[in-house]
Amino acid sequence: MGAGSVIGRTPDQLPAQRPSWKLKRPHDAQTQGIVVSGFSDLPAAKALFLMCDWPENGPGAAIVAGKGAWLKALAAVAPITDSDGKDERAASIALTWTGLQKSGLSAEALASFSQPFREGMYQEDRLRRLGDRIKDEWQRPVIEGGPRWSGNTPVKDDRTLSGPDKGEPPRQVITPTTVHAMLLLYEKDAKAVQDWADAVETALVAHNVKIVHQLALDLQLDSKGIAREHFGFADGLSQPIPFGTDDGGKDDSIVLSNGQSAPRDPWHGVPLGEILLGHLNAHAEDAPGPLVPDDLLARTSDLTQQGAPEGTFNFGLNGSYMVVRELRQYVGRFWKSLADNAARIRAHDPAATHVTADWLAERVVGRNVDGHLLCPSGFLPPDEYDFPQNAFGFLEADPHGHGCPVGSHVRRANPRDSLAKDVASAQTLLDAANNHRILRRGRKYGPPAADRQIDDGAERGLLFICLNADIARQFEFVQQTWILNKNFATLYDETDPLVGPKGGFTIGEQPLRRIVNVETFIQSAGGEYFFLPSLPALKYLASL
Amino acid sequence: MRQTILSVVLDVEPQSARRLSGLIEEFKKDQEPPGAAESYSALKQGVPALHFMSMSVFESPSYDPIFVIEANFDGPPGPFWAQMEAAFGVQLRPMLRCCKRPADGDGLTYDAVTKPFSRYPLAPYLEKRTLRPSVFHQGNRGLDRDRILAEGELFLATRAALAQPSPTDPNPYRGITAAEIHRKLRAELLGRFPWLAQPAPARVSWLERLTDWGQLVVFAFFALFCLSLPGMALAPMTPAGRYIVGLVIAVVVLAILLARRRAVVPGGVVPARPRRLTLPNLSTTTIVAGVLVVVAYLVIASVIGIGVAVLMTGLDVDDSLRLSIKVVGLGFLSGVFFMAPVVVLWLRWLERRDSSQDAPPVDERLLGEMARREDWIPQNHMGSVVLVKPGILRTGLFRVGHRGLGLLLRVLATDGYLGSMRTVHFAHWAFVNNGSRLMFFSNFDHSWESYLDDFIEKAHMGLTLAWGSDVGFPPTRFLVLDGASQGRKFKAWARHSMAVSRFWYSAYRDFTVDQIERNARIACGLRKETMSEQEAAVWARDL
Repeated sequence: MGAGSVIGRTPDQLPAQRPSWKLKRPHDAQTQGIVVSGFSDLPAAKALFLMCDWPENGPGAAIVAGKGAWLKALAAVAPITDSDGKDERAASIALTWTGLQKSGLSAEALASFSQPFREGMYQEDRLRRLGDRIKDEWQRPVIEGGPRWSGNTPVKDDRTLSGPDKGEPPRQVITPTTVHAMLLLYEKDAKAVQDWADAVETALVAHNVKIVHQLALDLQLDSKGIAREHFGFADGLSQPIPFGTDDGGKDDSIVLSNGQSAPRDPWHGVPLGEILLGHLNAHAEDAPGPLVPDDLLARTSDLTQQGAPEGTFNFGLNGSYMVVRELRQYVGRFWKSLADNAARIRAHDPAATHVTADWLAERVVGRNVDGHLLCPSGFLPPDEYDFPQNAFGFLEADPHGHGCPVGSHVRRANPRDSLAKDVASAQTLLDAANNHRILRRGRKYGPPAADRQIDDGAERGLLFICLNADIARQFEFVQQTWILNKNFATLYDETDPLVGPKGGFTIGEQPLRRIVNVETFIQSAGGEYFFLPSLPALKYLASL
Repeated sequence: MRQTILSVVLDVEPQSARRLSGLIEEFKKDQEPPGAAESYSALKQGVPALHFMSMSVFESPSYDPIFVIEANFDGPPGPFWAQMEAAFGVQLRPMLRCCKRPADGDGLTYDAVTKPFSRYPLAPYLEKRTLRPSVFHQGNRGLDRDRILAEGELFLATRAALAQPSPTDPNPYRGITAAEIHRKLRAELLGRFPWLAQPAPARVSWLERLTDWGQLVVFAFFALFCLSLPGMALAPMTPAGRYIVGLVIAVVVLAILLARRRAVVPGGVVPARPRRLTLPNLSTTTIVAGVLVVVAYLVIASVIGIGVAVLMTGLDVDDSLRLSIKVVGLGFLSGVFFMAPVVVLWLRWLERRDSSQDAPPVDERLLGEMARREDWIPQNHMGSVVLVKPGILRTGLFRVGHRGLGLLLRVLATDGYLGSMRTVHFAHWAFVNNGSRLMFFSNFDHSWESYLDDFIEKAHMGLTLAWGSDVGFPPTRFLVLDGASQGRKFKAWARHSMAVSRFWYSAYRDFTVDQIERNARIACGLRKETMSEQEAAVWARDL
């Protein structure tokens, strides 16, 4: 549903491990470690949301230098991890647009970021497309009263307010908490990560940077060594896989962990530029990223001019855009609603004795609790690494959704070839679907529910984190055109049953489909678009 | 019934442009009265033929503003304009007054329509100023508006019938076979939908299909004839043997020249999966059809040639026959093996020198206006106007290409699919301002981003053919390659060419193209009195 690599089994439990991909020199030393790893061997983690509490460098104000010093102090206490190998502990940092502004990044540089990042997640029209808010009303997938935190990106109000073009005044969403940066700390156990977080807090207070919100993110592996999200499902099983070109050229940046070349995976292969800015992407160009002007500061930094037009330095190279949404999950509501639904179905159809809450939950997600995909004959058997099989398509084995329902979460989040009208166009549709992949690195927060049927009122959920180089084409596309699309793939008036607002959900069956009514089980409590800088870019920011 | 797609383009008096925008906004507000249960009821009831309509004003630094009314409706234009006049004549007339008096023969009609207190009918004037599209496409061909609405209601009724509201009683539709479901459902709904007792009206008549095919074949003949012309001029004078030798030498030279130029322009981009100019997998039927067309052309041209030869040269029929076959045959060979490669080479020469616009100026205010109007319902609208690249070859290829593409779509895309995407309700291209600009309108499903992504990922060759000869388009190769597959550049260029859709109406806001087809399949099934188990099983999947 949103977490990153969560199977944390010890080496002797595994038959063999599938080799993972890694970056080649020099990119591995420049890229933050979170791009290549979910740090599954560091099960305790904390997300610290930081606010730069000084009045300078606000919107419209002249820029005051020296405000990047807090990043230097942070680097002393929590050095940001790179991608060239496992570390004892790991840290990752990302900044919002307002955070970059507060730290003193020039207006010219700020204007070179992509439009979704510059406008922020809570821009009026974006909220409508993401299904969060329509005009003045927050929609069901958002918690009561609206989200608690965001970057509070100021609205650029240049619309005409008179004459025939007169429009309504812009609606600016202001969340009570402003977040300028998010720091993720990964350690071996909860105590270690808490001590580390305290040390960070002390170091930052001296620079007027406060921790305005925090979440404890723990993998909490179960007895089988699998990390599950709060509803009980194994998560993070399907990720895009960048490939190497193996020609020694500029675009040959990926290799496997065992040193072998990384060919393109037929089901999940994406060019590196889908994840990392400055590299070749699916539109056959280097993923465009932000630039900084060619001045003394840039020349004395570790930034390169490679890939940047004359007069600028490539600030975005080896960085990425990170989408963060704090999603609250209602475990009791989920299981109770499904149990009621199952009872109702059995009452309507006395022959349907197989319909239970678990059966419905599997169909809502599309995989069973252990992560195996539903298919017409039951579940897909595990692959050669004893992992849930992930090299599959939907069109040939399950075109009508009799195994894995057409609108289930897994099938909506990545349709693969299932939107094709016939086998001849399956490859085209698979390639098209792979143009919209996101790399997920989220983790759950909050205590596990003791009894899944009872709503104990504790706050728990998923801190959804994903990396993508083009927010509009990747994250927003998935959210708008697949997940929340009421007309997805011949369905009518239904959205994603797991993540979407309450409504119908079709479970394909012969001869007649079942349509069950699902509730809203997940609500967003806050979110924003962040920029994940490369290590040279971070150093540049620290010198501002 | 056949649908018509057209747009009316009127030059706007620049000083009245603001007034015109205001009138359109007023018209829009009239259609959406606040607090009313349903908006656009005047359009829905007053103009029942209308599927989609839009009104836009396109501004440009090089032209005075133009006012475009785009309309997609059932049947011929006459009755449609009559309905529009009856319902909205009062609102439309002031809009026409904001437009310039045409310099051509329509000036007198314009005067009659716009003079103070005029009651002269608008329809003739609007019909005269109508622009016929060069390429058009329709997602649900042959379904008229009332039928779409009726089948939509039927669909919702089937949902209600199958839902079984009581939480505890068994659902009568469960535990029975598909054929029984069909029988039961039909019995339940026949009362409310008596039209289910009648057979479904044909969507596309055989005459229409025949005409479409006929037009395509005639176009193919015309294209072959034009390509053969230079060769045919030379053929009477040259002995056949020498002609063929000359042709072979020319072909070899051209092949070498072309091969050297097929690479991507430096600065252009090679797609991640290099797609060579390989022939698409043509099915045997396509190949056989192609061969038949060529043979038919040769035969018909030869026959006509005999007549021409007899008249012009005074030879007897036998000699004329020999001459005609020689001229037509050699002309055809030269057309295919010499003229066509010359055209391609010339085109490639031009493509390598094209100026593509990597960063069209972004007007954030305009982008905001567009974003504000999009993504409220499952459908969206876009209208764009771009400049056309000048030059003899460009103009020729563009016009011919558009005509060919238009005819091809009429024949191939009868099920609504453009390649593997079916999200367009109505779309068309039309040349405006004496062919110096190309206009594009589309009424489509889902977001603008996903619509263009669909084109970029699934139909980029057709799109590059249709739009590639416009100023600033991303670099193309051989008329159909690259181009729209360079996603980000293409999207930036497309956005830049768009104008705000000031007024836009859709007669069935909640239905996508796929959904309308689904409704049609369900309705067709329910019209049948009985169905076999197999048929019913397939039909019931749509319920």
